[in-house]
Amino acid sequence: MQQPKRWARLKNWETLMFIILCVVVVGNLRLSEHYLDLNNLANIFHLSIEKSLVVLIMAFVIINGEIDLSVASVMGLAATVLAERYEAGWPIAAGFAMALVVGLVCGLLNGLFAAYMGIPSLIVTLAGSIGYRGVARILLEDNSVGDFPNWFTSLGQDGLIGPFPATIFVFLALFILGFVILQYSVFGRYVYAIGNNRAAAEYAGINAKQVKLTIFMASGLIAALAGAFYAARLGNVRANAAEGFELDIITIVLLGGVSIFGGTGTMIGVGLSLLVVLNLRNGMSLSNVDGNTQTSVIGILLILSVLVPNLFQLLQRLLPRVFSTISGFTNKGGAPEPKSQVSIHQ
Amino acid sequence: MRKLQLLMVALVLLTLTGGLVQAQDDPEPIVAEPGIELNMVLLPKTLGNAVFDEAHEGAIEAHEELENPGELIFNAPTPDNAIPGQIEIIEASITQEVDAIMISANDYEQLLPSTTKAMEDDITVVTWDSPVAPEGEDLFIAQVDFTEVGSVMADMALSILGEDGGQFAILSATPDASNQNAWIEAMQALLEEDEMYANLELVDIVYGNDDPDDSYNEALGLVDSYPDLELIMAPTTVGIAAAAKAMQDEELCGEIAVSGLGLPSEMQEFVENGCSQEFALWSFKDLGYLTYYVSYLLASGAMEAEEGVVFEAGRMGEYTIEADPNREEGLRVLMGPFSVYNAENLEEWAAEEE
Amino acid sequence: MNKIRRWVPLQRLREFSLVIILIIVVLIFGNQIDNYYTPRTFNRISSTVALITLVAVGQTLVVLTRNVDLSVGSVVGFTAYYVGRYVSKNEDISPVMLAALAMSIGAGMGLINGLLVAYGRIPAIVVTLGTMAIYRGVLVEYSDSKSVATRQLPDWIKELPQESILKYGEYELRALPAIALVAAIIFFFLLLYTSFGRRLYAIGSSPEAANLAGIRAPRMVTLAFTLCGAMAGLGGMLYLARFGTITVDAARGMELQVVAAVVVGGVNILGGSGTVLGAMLGAILIGTIEQSLIRMNINEFWKDALLGLCIIIAVSVDRILINQLTPWWSRTELQRMPEEHHAAA
Repeated sequence: MQQPKRWARLKNWETLMFIILCVVVVGNLRLSEHYLDLNNLANIFHLSIEKSLVVLIMAFVIINGEIDLSVASVMGLAATVLAERYEAGWPIAAGFAMALVVGLVCGLLNGLFAAYMGIPSLIVTLAGSIGYRGVARILLEDNSVGDFPNWFTSLGQDGLIGPFPATIFVFLALFILGFVILQYSVFGRYVYAIGNNRAAAEYAGINAKQVKLTIFMASGLIAALAGAFYAARLGNVRANAAEGFELDIITIVLLGGVSIFGGTGTMIGVGLSLLVVLNLRNGMSLSNVDGNTQTSVIGILLILSVLVPNLFQLLQRLLPRVFSTISGFTNKGGAPEPKSQVSIHQ
Repeated sequence: MRKLQLLMVALVLLTLTGGLVQAQDDPEPIVAEPGIELNMVLLPKTLGNAVFDEAHEGAIEAHEELENPGELIFNAPTPDNAIPGQIEIIEASITQEVDAIMISANDYEQLLPSTTKAMEDDITVVTWDSPVAPEGEDLFIAQVDFTEVGSVMADMALSILGEDGGQFAILSATPDASNQNAWIEAMQALLEEDEMYANLELVDIVYGNDDPDDSYNEALGLVDSYPDLELIMAPTTVGIAAAAKAMQDEELCGEIAVSGLGLPSEMQEFVENGCSQEFALWSFKDLGYLTYYVSYLLASGAMEAEEGVVFEAGRMGEYTIEADPNREEGLRVLMGPFSVYNAENLEEWAAEEE
Repeated sequence: MNKIRRWVPLQRLREFSLVIILIIVVLIFGNQIDNYYTPRTFNRISSTVALITLVAVGQTLVVLTRNVDLSVGSVVGFTAYYVGRYVSKNEDISPVMLAALAMSIGAGMGLINGLLVAYGRIPAIVVTLGTMAIYRGVLVEYSDSKSVATRQLPDWIKELPQESILKYGEYELRALPAIALVAAIIFFFLLLYTSFGRRLYAIGSSPEAANLAGIRAPRMVTLAFTLCGAMAGLGGMLYLARFGTITVDAARGMELQVVAAVVVGGVNILGGSGTVLGAMLGAILIGTIEQSLIRMNINEFWKDALLGLCIIIAVSVDRILINQLTPWWSRTELQRMPEEHHAAA
């Protein structure tokens, strides 16, 4: 019953995002002659690759009706573990693997407290974000670790095809994987079902706890991967790596049409919203707009993207009445009544 | 046509004087030629810190003085996006093909991939306030000598605590702030080496993360943990103001002194009511001015970033590019001097401000 | 035990459990830190917790209606700056008028949030994530990135934090905690004993049922946001009084501290249950842990990790206590007042 309605609505959302994207791209083209430089196109993705990666898994987390505020700290911790192990003499690949394991463990802890102990994920991951960052500080204190082997830094810095580094292709692969899992797999159905109505999903025999735990662990893993990429891109690690990334990530997911209450949103929507935000930020950077204003503009966009469709809905309902009073025209069939209480996010 | 001729003459003269530099022992300083179009970016650590506004003012002054028809762009990241934000701005500047970037770096190493990329694209990279590693910059405009900051802090501690000495603690910025760490290290080294400071006992170093809330609480934490504490030394403008306010609120101003690096505009109040006897800082306005001058000279090709080159920086006079004693293979221009502020000269300062 | 049971009703169980945890925390730190049980420690923690408490009180109203306000940090920052600028130009304005100014600016910002959420039908987290950035952006534009310095402020506002309202020996109730306490008490009774308060609970428990009962949810939600904004505005004035120097980054990140206090205090993030008293206890608990960690003689780099650990342990213990005590408590209570048992949800 929920299904067809949701799909119809989401088509709208994706169209809206696509239109905004077109506007942004045209605006950028007019504002800056350098926008289409190949290097700049690579930069759009390259400079935000870590956030983009985590956006993918955050979509799962939020659609599932949870939130993960600890991702930035897990990124930082993973980068720190990688660096600390490298300094201790491990080969970088082993450090990389260790970082991924640490990410999984963080996700496991989040999942156990949130899914199995029933503490709201907001508070679990808020505590996690303080705690994991704390562990990173214990490991590296005020030191920085760099001088990674060339192959590792070039992974994040040098172009693999043209100016596009390898990390971008990892992102593309993961995007496709995420899309298939969320939209076409049984697991994806579970994610939506639990996000829509956990009790109903459990009555239907879905092990909600297990699904949630899996998603939190995946979130930890992807965040750790992103943390390692961050280390590769900057070529150097400190304990404060990736600090403050979480709000940007959540903003992009919400702008993608994912409901904070869970159950709705698609990978395509999230992908489009990512493109919108990255291009918008790039255009503003090229016009030398400062960081605070950039964030404000995206904030306005976030609000308008929900407000405008809602207003249209309202106008649709009100306009026939207005017309009828002005011209005396009576619509015998009555205006098509939109489903009044249903807003896009509920 | 006349203009072109004049320009040619000027160029010839410049090359001539350049040649003279090599020949003489006491070289003629390189003087900037105004009016060359250069787009330049001034990139401080973050927005919202008063010291960077002052640096911006200085850069504007130089920009107008040199009649640069190009743009002076002032941009900075938000504090929650400090390092990636600086990278984004540097990359955007490369794309826009600007001529010079002037950076107060949020990290010594992490900006290197971007700044090296900028240098490969023939962009002048000058750091000020806080440098990057030498391979990622042309040179560093050092506000003061880093070891001198240590000695100035030690001297202020000595003059406040007196010959008999006493306990004091340091309230720093973040645990990984490279400037502050270098200064504190220099101070600690001095305290150990020099007999003069033998009675000064450094009991603790805490970090207020350059956040007024954290700094305030950490300052009070120090007071509670060390009953005999007599002085809080804060080598950060945010920390010193928060610590002074905390002492004022707890009516501890007579008992525990606050000193360190502070802005006169923010600290005047606390010197008047006795919460802080003296503090020090260099002029950020001059720092911005000098940084702009050096970047202009380098980007216009009038000067090379090499050891021993002497140049004139407008109203601030002559400076020499020298090897940086704190960073191997690094070059620096040392600005100096320190201004130590106390009740007497603050009044003069305030009178000038009005 | 039965005595306690009679003394602490079921719906106060959450607060009771928080008080127990708070006592345990204080005992542990008291054991670790010299000179911990002193008036100084009390004064320190009460002053620090005041700001967060005040803003958390307003936040509670919003969270009760199944919403959240992430813009409070920016509202505090903006009002702190605006009020600072204003008072530096109009030194003779009375404290009450200044507080009214601060509260109305905050209320205005809260009203915008509320209208967008209630009438624009946009999820609160989307609205306030947006306005968090927008209000901060407005502050940056308005201030031109300049800061307010202490010397520009009149004496009374600078001396507000050291004013003590009540004194018992060296134990003081200073002005800032007093304001927060008064606000908490007012809202505590407002929520429990007025129809406005009961309606907020009703909306949060079940919007559909509230609608059927004839409650005008949008109006109530807007009001909750407006009051939350007003509290944040007042918080801005206190922030100004406490720190004196206000930059464009004032109170950045405070929203997460506030939400943490509210949620640790047992206010259900999905609406409908929790009290202002709980939120206050949540703020006090986190504040006590933070302040005590500062006092503890441990490696600087361990403090964050310990703070995270302490919070998660406190929340887990709270969860276990509630799970264990609720059935036991309600055995007799259920017979007397069956309608109250939803408090456990």
